Amino acid sequence: MKKLTIFMLVFVFILTGVAVYASKGEKAKEGAVEEKAPPKEEAGLIMGFPAANEQEAKLAHAAFEAADNGNPDPAWKGKKLTIAVYSAGQRGAISGPLYFWRNKFEELTGATLDIVEIPFAELREKIFTDLMTGAGRYDMLINCSNFYGDYILNDWILPIDDYFDDPRMPEWDRDSISPAVAALYKWGDHWYGGNNDHDAQVLYYRKDIIESAEWQAKFKQEMGHDMPVDLETWEDVVEVCEFFHGKDWNGDGDSDNGISLHLKVGGQGYFHFMAMSAPYVVIPYPGDPPTKVTRYHNVYWFDPETMEPLINSPGHVRALEILLKLSKAGSTAMWGWSLGEAWADFLSGNAVMCFSWGDVGSLSQLPDQSVIQGKLGARGIPGTKTPYDMQKKRFLNLDEPNMVSNQAGCSWHPVISKYADNPDLAYYFMAWQSTPPINHWNVYMGWTGVDPGTTYDWFPPYGNAKEEEYVAGGYDAEDARNFIGSYQDNFYNYPIFQNYLRIPGTPELQEIWDVHLSEAVTGQLGPQEALDRTAKDWGRIIDDYGRDTLLKLYQESIGYK
Amino acid sequence: MNKKERIKFLFVGPGILWVLAFTIFPLLFSLRLSFFHARLGRPQEFIWLGNFGRAFADYRFWSVLWVTIFFVIVNVALTVLIGLVLALLVSRPLRKPLKGQRAIRAFFTMPLFTAPIALGYLGLTIFHEEIGAVNTVIKALGFVNLPAWFSDPWLARFAISIVDVWQWTPFCFLVILAGLQSLPDEIYESAALDTSSGWDVFRHLTLPLIGPVLFTVTILRMVETFKLLEIPFSMTSGGPGMATQTYSYYIYLTGLRNFNTGYASALAYILLAIMLIISIFFFKRLRQIYE
Repeated sequence: MKKLTIFMLVFVFILTGVAVYASKGEKAKEGAVEEKAPPKEEAGLIMGFPAANEQEAKLAHAAFEAADNGNPDPAWKGKKLTIAVYSAGQRGAISGPLYFWRNKFEELTGATLDIVEIPFAELREKIFTDLMTGAGRYDMLINCSNFYGDYILNDWILPIDDYFDDPRMPEWDRDSISPAVAALYKWGDHWYGGNNDHDAQVLYYRKDIIESAEWQAKFKQEMGHDMPVDLETWEDVVEVCEFFHGKDWNGDGDSDNGISLHLKVGGQGYFHFMAMSAPYVVIPYPGDPPTKVTRYHNVYWFDPETMEPLINSPGHVRALEILLKLSKAGSTAMWGWSLGEAWADFLSGNAVMCFSWGDVGSLSQLPDQSVIQGKLGARGIPGTKTPYDMQKKRFLNLDEPNMVSNQAGCSWHPVISKYADNPDLAYYFMAWQSTPPINHWNVYMGWTGVDPGTTYDWFPPYGNAKEEEYVAGGYDAEDARNFIGSYQDNFYNYPIFQNYLRIPGTPELQEIWDVHLSEAVTGQLGPQEALDRTAKDWGRIIDDYGRDTLLKLYQESIGYK
Repeated sequence: MNKKERIKFLFVGPGILWVLAFTIFPLLFSLRLSFFHARLGRPQEFIWLGNFGRAFADYRFWSVLWVTIFFVIVNVALTVLIGLVLALLVSRPLRKPLKGQRAIRAFFTMPLFTAPIALGYLGLTIFHEEIGAVNTVIKALGFVNLPAWFSDPWLARFAISIVDVWQWTPFCFLVILAGLQSLPDEIYESAALDTSSGWDVFRHLTLPLIGPVLFTVTILRMVETFKLLEIPFSMTSGGPGMATQTYSYYIYLTGLRNFNTGYASALAYILLAIMLIISIFFFKRLRQIYE
């Protein structure tokens, strides 16, 4: 006992000594900082930006100078704007630009910007709880476009049309936004969202491998025909991936992957399946315009007459079978991969292909994350020659593939909460970030996670962007042409496109879809059974919310009349 | 009642208010909700036992219940068994206490004080199929077909069990060790006169004597494992598919992600009923044995 007491006393004495020494040391360090370092506001900033290097800061400064700053209201001084955004950190996708531009916003308005990062898995529950309870913790939400159904049904967000002519507010160019994306920022006749991110999925591939004469000759020798280098259909993609899978095509001594996919539960795999399956399910209206929505044309989710789920249609099942084939041409571990891991497999040069969002295109240009700069090939999402016709109730056999572009993902953009303390200030920030120079800077800086979607992001004839802008942002010129080109194709050169589901309850529908897709790809259920279960669950959720209410909103959201 | 006596209410009052506001009220409110079709933000509708009926017709209910029972059986059995073995190794009746026993005890208890969510993320890195420590070791041993920890349903469950067992074994170890150390040396001295077999001593003496401790530990572990959520949440997100989606995880998804609070409340009460039945059964059995 005595020994223990002595030990305790000695221990406490040592601990106190260490604490006192440490606090003195800390004070000494603080003193040193006070004497030598620049003022706290300036620390770590280049030209007023938390930039990684001078070039980045210079380009940001030029964008800042070129952007319309409006006439900030002096009454905003001292006010606080709180923004909720999905958590990716100060240099991460989507949240990063908020931190980057924060100082300048505070300089312009005298207000403070509070950024609340929320993990992706909890984003919806945090935002919806705030709106349901009217707590108003967040003035502005950098939200996923598929939340709109709930917003509109519950009247949770503010329309922004009245601000467009407000002289205090920066001008932004709404006509420059690709029509498909602009539609996401609106509901009915009103604008709700500011311009930011423009998500779509395209197919990325290793140009140096696919276009290599040596590999093409080996393909012909093994498969008996030329390699389908245009990768026009998913069937072509499967064949090419199967050929490359298991071969050491990157010369590192190990066998490599044909494709890299992501379908971990709780991630965003279902968006990939949507983009991939659309050509099997969605067919154009045979009359004019081909984009006309009828009961059997340009529909993917539900029967627009009855709200019965279409998700287990033969077309969806066929697409899932193709996805299963593709999954055999990649790492066996990929069904447990998060989105970032799936991208990393491609970016680190271990997979010939990957289909995903624009992030892959921009990340491929970052030397710390990619070894494939200068080797990037990209094209719009492939189609199929055998889509399912819901009216004729049979698969078609077409000479030319059925091509369906997509808007899949979140297209993260700001909306203003109905409970915002300072909606005017919130709109100011939204409009300022939407101005072409700032939005374009966010696009061509790869790390921001902001994908292209406006005329000032596109190359002529679709827009007025210059190759040099992307090169200045760190892009290889040819990679930029391929990547931006594939995006332009997606938005302008496909006859029809598949859009988001935007009805109330969408995240719940996606959650169960995600689970059943995972069950299918990991062999727990067959494709038909997995999608039948999805359809059954969707039916129950639809009834839970009220079929008639949702039918009306669904028809509105897809433009069915 | 004089002023001095009345002051006692001042001290217990806040405690009572706290329990009423944060335990009793939510309990009663969730009971009420379980009889309603209630989605947060939408009008509520009284549906009698509709939510309970729906649960029994819901295949996800049965799936998550099955997964949870799997974890309860495997994890509880392993934690209690390993905890018992470790406690027996450390406890040495009739002999000098093991050198450094306190250090061993402190070392063993470390995982217990880690947040389960952090352990889940740690598990994610350890069992990562390509760069995780486990598969790296297996690969170094010359195996080619590495275990698909997160894409094979059974391996995913097994990985979660390992992490959960890692966290909770120290608890069982500590409680069982305390039970063993409370046994008087005299009975072991008497037993030593009758037999020299350690197994006989364990089977006929130690085990019956620490039976109540083992029962208590088992019940506590069962209750805890029925609530298993954080480790599958952070490690597998309940996947692949629903292979590691536990009952509590399903309640969380239903209530807090999808805001179907009526159904989530009914599910929570069904879980409460299941745990009550199991606890009553266990304690009755214990009483029968010792009466």
